[in-house]
Amino acid sequence: MIAAELPGFPRPLLRRRELGLLLAVAGTLLLGGLSLGFTRSGSPTLAHPAGLLVYLGALAGVHVALVLAGRRVDEVLLPTVGLLGGIGLLLAERLPQDLVVQQVGPAVLGLASLQLVWLVLALVITGVVAIAVRSDRWFRLYKYTWAASGLGLLALTFVLGRDVNGTRLTLDLGPVSGQPSELLKVILVIFFAAYLAENRVLLADARVRVVGRLTVPPAPYLLPAGLMLALALGIVVIQRDLGAALLFFAVFLCLFYLATGSKVDVALGIGLFLVGFALLALVFPHVRERVATWLDPWSDPLGTGYQTIQALHAFARGGLLGTGLGAGLPAVGGQLPIPAVHTDFPLAALGEELGMAGVLAILGCYLVVVARGLRIAAAAADDVRALLCAGLALVIGVQAAIIAAGNLKLIPLTGITLPFIGYGGSSLLVNGLIVGLLLAFSDRGPVPPAEPRRARRLARAGG
Amino acid sequence: MARLTLVLVLAYGGLMLGAGYWQVLRADDLSRDPTDAGMIAAARSTVRGRILDRDGRVLATSRRDSTGEPYRVYTDASVSAPLGYASRLYGSAGLEAAYASELLGAGGDDPASRALAKFRPRGERGDDLRTSLSLTLQRLAVRLLGTDRGAVVAIDPRTGDVLAMASTPTYDASGIADPATSRAAFAAARDDPGQPLLDRAIQGRYVPGSVFKIVTAIAGLSSGAITPATTFPQQPRAESTGLLVSGYRVRDGHHPFTGTELLDFARATEVSCNIWYALAGLRTGGAGMEEAARRLGFGAPIPFDLPTARSQLTNGGGPLPGGFTDDVELANAAYGQGEVLVTPLEMALVAATVANGGEEPRPRLVTGFVSPSGAVRDVSRGTLARVLSSDDAAAITLAMTQAVEGVDGQRFTTGAQVAGVTVAGKTGTAQLGGAGEPHSWFIGFAPAEAPTIALAVIVEQGGGGAARAAPLAGDLLRAFFAARP
Repeated sequence: MIAAELPGFPRPLLRRRELGLLLAVAGTLLLGGLSLGFTRSGSPTLAHPAGLLVYLGALAGVHVALVLAGRRVDEVLLPTVGLLGGIGLLLAERLPQDLVVQQVGPAVLGLASLQLVWLVLALVITGVVAIAVRSDRWFRLYKYTWAASGLGLLALTFVLGRDVNGTRLTLDLGPVSGQPSELLKVILVIFFAAYLAENRVLLADARVRVVGRLTVPPAPYLLPAGLMLALALGIVVIQRDLGAALLFFAVFLCLFYLATGSKVDVALGIGLFLVGFALLALVFPHVRERVATWLDPWSDPLGTGYQTIQALHAFARGGLLGTGLGAGLPAVGGQLPIPAVHTDFPLAALGEELGMAGVLAILGCYLVVVARGLRIAAAAADDVRALLCAGLALVIGVQAAIIAAGNLKLIPLTGITLPFIGYGGSSLLVNGLIVGLLLAFSDRGPVPPAEPRRARRLARAGG
Repeated sequence: MARLTLVLVLAYGGLMLGAGYWQVLRADDLSRDPTDAGMIAAARSTVRGRILDRDGRVLATSRRDSTGEPYRVYTDASVSAPLGYASRLYGSAGLEAAYASELLGAGGDDPASRALAKFRPRGERGDDLRTSLSLTLQRLAVRLLGTDRGAVVAIDPRTGDVLAMASTPTYDASGIADPATSRAAFAAARDDPGQPLLDRAIQGRYVPGSVFKIVTAIAGLSSGAITPATTFPQQPRAESTGLLVSGYRVRDGHHPFTGTELLDFARATEVSCNIWYALAGLRTGGAGMEEAARRLGFGAPIPFDLPTARSQLTNGGGPLPGGFTDDVELANAAYGQGEVLVTPLEMALVAATVANGGEEPRPRLVTGFVSPSGAVRDVSRGTLARVLSSDDAAAITLAMTQAVEGVDGQRFTTGAQVAGVTVAGKTGTAQLGGAGEPHSWFIGFAPAEAPTIALAVIVEQGGGGAARAAPLAGDLLRAFFAARP
């Protein structure tokens, strides 16, 4: 008894709900692996059993760690994210392994092995952050330091970065390479949360009249946030990462609305974004091309419109229930119909093999993640933490929505990843970090001591 | 927070609706398109079903090359236009494209069973296609067209079954399908100045000349503007000098043997009187002409197994009712000049409509599917519209019969007569402007009292209607009735 109350030796706390959901997730993923194996070999075998079991083991490991840590943190996030990651792993196992090949020491790893490595590392980050982060003091105290480091990181990429597919997103530092704009979204949320919480009253109430009844917050208080946003946007635009620009802007507007409740400002923000986008389209031919491809991919079916059309055909082939894992994506002459399926079109591939039912389930999972995040935000003790949690959840929800809408030809296609599912180390690690932070901030504090037994007996006697 | 949640839920709802749009509403037309990756992949592994004629004779079948991949073989070039081709290099055309999903065994079932298709093993063979074509008649039509460019469409007016649909020149579809000769055969067909890849029967748009008078007759009679007894007092006088319409003279060539005779509807049809029909068209008016043409299917693609070009009465946009520019255009259109353009299939349907007592049959090429297990699925037949009353149809039948069997009519339709069978018909000589020979046209049906075949024949620049098209139609009809008394 005494040992359990000493710091460093927390009392283990069972997480029955998380365990139940994780068992359901494990069952689903094993069924998926069986289905893939059956399609491949014609007999009921598990496709790549080791990979799936390692992944499920890692999920179980995080669960056990959280139980041992004894913190009262959210029990739905981990299974939901675990399901999405598992679906991503199944997709990676299903695709040709030579889509991505990397030499790691003596081993040459293919797509599924790499995805597995990143997923396990992301889960480790989630677990460590969820258990170790006890306070948000660091985030609220050093917001400008965070902002500066984020921008510095991005500037570094711009100067030293390497061009991949015509966009300068990748930064090589010795053996490690990554996409800093993934990390930038977390840093920006931290900065926005701290800044907006500090200035929310001024932004909402100290209004400056523009025309008639239209008022905006006073410029000095908008300036730091605006400058930060403009810099971030400018850099991603120069790097041609339009998806990230849209994501930053959307998350900023959401947080601004949460902080001030001003619909006028949000409408102004959307207007500004549209004007900015129109200007971009005027200046940059590649932006115009994106929009033209979005409006009518069939005008160039073998050129710019090719991938978009192929993705829509993949959705159509899937229909309601899909072709089954491994049975879709018909290869013609050894070529996949969608070349960049693992990075830009995972939802189209899953839409084909799991059908509309699968797409709805996946979108539903993202909604659950956002809903849990907003719930954690609503229960937060103060503004900074509330905005921080809401922002982190929104980053995932909005990013998933942007790439899903791009796949479905609802908005122009942008090259951001589908969180937890799309291939990409930086993306997985940062999303793991986000989930870890959300878990840590959902801590409801120590378990209140049970009522003394005698008091209860008395109460019963009295009642 | 609640508002923000609502916005997010709405956004995700939009995504789900988007998924529903592509995966349910558009699922069929995208996934069964011949350019779909799934269809292309299936074409390389699945053996296409055969295409059969109405008597079960094979029009298209498959062989396997040295690597085991199937390729297509066609019985002969006469069926190249309706069947098209299926090639690994050049995709597909014709029925091969229109029915790719059935031929590859990928579709045709109801949506519910297709959704569960993943639980069924995938077939090695696609469905056979049963068509309404008669290989005998099709071959004869192509042979009779010979080296000329042109088209023949023959329809059973009672069912809409297309018995023959020829377009010349033909091309070597087997050569295009065979991987060993694909490139050369396709290049030869593509670069041929005769444009064999154009299916003239459904995609060719021609000036109709006098065969269009049947459309004018349908418009006039069904609108009540004319009756079979209608005569125009100014007609006989105008025969020698031409009828003056707003400064333009409508001319005729039959006055050497009709003199100053006052013509009624049947006589005017028999001697193909331009002046009588110009006056009938003016009396019917642009709106009446346009209405009847629209009921017959002008101005829109014809509901058919293959994509069809639109037939037109005018270029549209003119100030007069029906889109005519002025009375001159209307008067000229009434006897098939002006801006009128028609497809051979449309004109065959005009003949079939009269033959079928005024009800236009829906044309069809594919009558059913036979799955590898032998299960038969029939395609329903139907009608497009009731275009005119059976009384009016009978009056037109009488006039068209006179045009083929009448003493004066035979001057224009030499060669269309069939011993023992009453033929109803109308020739056309479509003036193209300039010095070239006119298009030679014939539309008709037989037997006039109970028609079993209706047809349209066009020979590009074949001269007068009597020169090429009428005798060609006669040869076809003789062969048809010799085989099926």
